[in-house]
Amino acid sequence: MANLTAEQVNGLADNFSAMAETVGEFRYKNYENLSASQNQQIKDLQATILDVADRLYTLSAVLVMEDIETSLATIDNITNEIKETYKTLLDFQKAINVAGAVVTLGSSILSGKPASIVQSIDSLVKIWNA
Amino acid sequence: MVRLIHKAGIAIVLLIIGLSSCVNLKYINSYSSASLKSIQGFETINYSFKQCCLDNCQDKKINNLNLEAEDCDCKMDEKADSVTLILYNAVKGYFDGLNNLSGNELTNYKTDGLTKALNEGNFGSIKIDKQHVDAYSNVSKILLRAFTDEYRKHQLKVYVREANEPLKVLIKFLDLNISGNLAGKLTLQKQRIRSYYFDLTKNLLLSPFEKRRAVQDYFQQLGEIEARQKELQTYSKALKIIAEGHQKLSDNIDHFSTAEIKGLLFQYACDIRDVKTEFDKIKK
Repeated sequence: MANLTAEQVNGLADNFSAMAETVGEFRYKNYENLSASQNQQIKDLQATILDVADRLYTLSAVLVMEDIETSLATIDNITNEIKETYKTLLDFQKAINVAGAVVTLGSSILSGKPASIVQSIDSLVKIWNA
Repeated sequence: MVRLIHKAGIAIVLLIIGLSSCVNLKYINSYSSASLKSIQGFETINYSFKQCCLDNCQDKKINNLNLEAEDCDCKMDEKADSVTLILYNAVKGYFDGLNNLSGNELTNYKTDGLTKALNEGNFGSIKIDKQHVDAYSNVSKILLRAFTDEYRKHQLKVYVREANEPLKVLIKFLDLNISGNLAGKLTLQKQRIRSYYFDLTKNLLLSPFEKRRAVQDYFQQLGEIEARQKELQTYSKALKIIAEGHQKLSDNIDHFSTAEIKGLLFQYACDIRDVKTEFDKIKK
C-alpha cells in the first residue's frame, strides 16, 4: 500500500464502490428468490465493501500530501514573493505620504507655532505607523 | 516654441506609458479576481470528510439501535480535511496575491498630501509657485506609475510562469479530494441509504402507510446527498476552468497586451463567474 499514489487509491475506491453497487443490485433484483439468511449475508457483504471503499477514499485524500510537497513549497515561495512585491509597491504610497507629512512639519517649525508643530508631529507619527 | 513642443511631446509619451501600462493588467486582474472569488466558494461548502464519517457512524448506531455514546473514530477523516485545507489555502493565497498585484489601484499613487503641503506651506524666504508644484506632481505621478507598472508587469510574468506547473498540481489534487474522494464517499452514502430503505419497504411488519413514509424519507435524503454532490461537482468545474485559464495566461504571458489574449482571459473570467453563479444557486 505504501507505494500506491493518491490517484491509484482513489481509483481502487471507485472500483470497490462499483463492486458494492453490483452486489446491492443483485440483492434487490433477486430478493424474492433469496432466503432471509442469504439476503442478510449479501447485505452484510455490501456493507463491508462500502466500508472498505469509504476508508480508501479517506486514505487517498490523506496520501495527496505526499504528492504535493514540492508543488506546495514552490507555490508558498511564489506567494510570499508576490506579497513582498505588493508590499514594496504599497510602500511607495507610504513614502509619498511621509514626505508630505515631513514637509508640513518643516513648514510648521518655520512658522514657529507650537500647536501646529505638535499637530504635524502627530500626523507624521500616524502616517509612519500606518 | 521648440521648448513647448518638446514639453508637450514628453507629456504625451508619459500619458501613453501611463495609460497602456494601466490597461494591460486589467485582464489579468479580472481573471484572478474571478478565480479568487470562485476558489473561496470552498469556505461555503458545508460538508467535510469528518462530517461524512460522523454521519455514517450515527447512521450505523441508528440502524443497530445502539444508544452507546461511544465516540466515532474519525481521526483519518480529520487528517483528510486538513490536507484539503492546506491545498485550498495554497491555491487561494496565490490568487489573492495575483489579484492584489495586478490591481490598477495599486500603483495609482496619490500625491495630494505632498502637493497640498508644498502649496500651503510656509518655507521662509523660499517661494514655491502653485502652478509648478501641480505640474511636477502630475509628471512624477505618471512617471512613478509607468516605472512601477513596468516593474509589476515584469514580476507578474516571472510569477505566473514559475507558478503554473505547481499550481496545476495543487488544483488537480484539490479537485481529486473534492470531486473524487469526498463526492465518492457521498456515492457510498447513497448506496447505504438505498440498502436500508429497500429493506424497510420489504418489511412485512410495516403498514403501507409506514412504507410510504419510508420511501418519502429515502427520497428526501437522496435529494440532500445529490445536492451536495452537485455542489462539489460545480466547484470542481470551476477549478478546471481556473487551471485552464492559468495555463493560457502562462503560455501567452509575453503577449498579454494583444487583443486576442485579452479577449481569451476576459472569456475565462466570464466562464468562471458563470460557474460561481451556478454554485451559489445550488447553495440557495
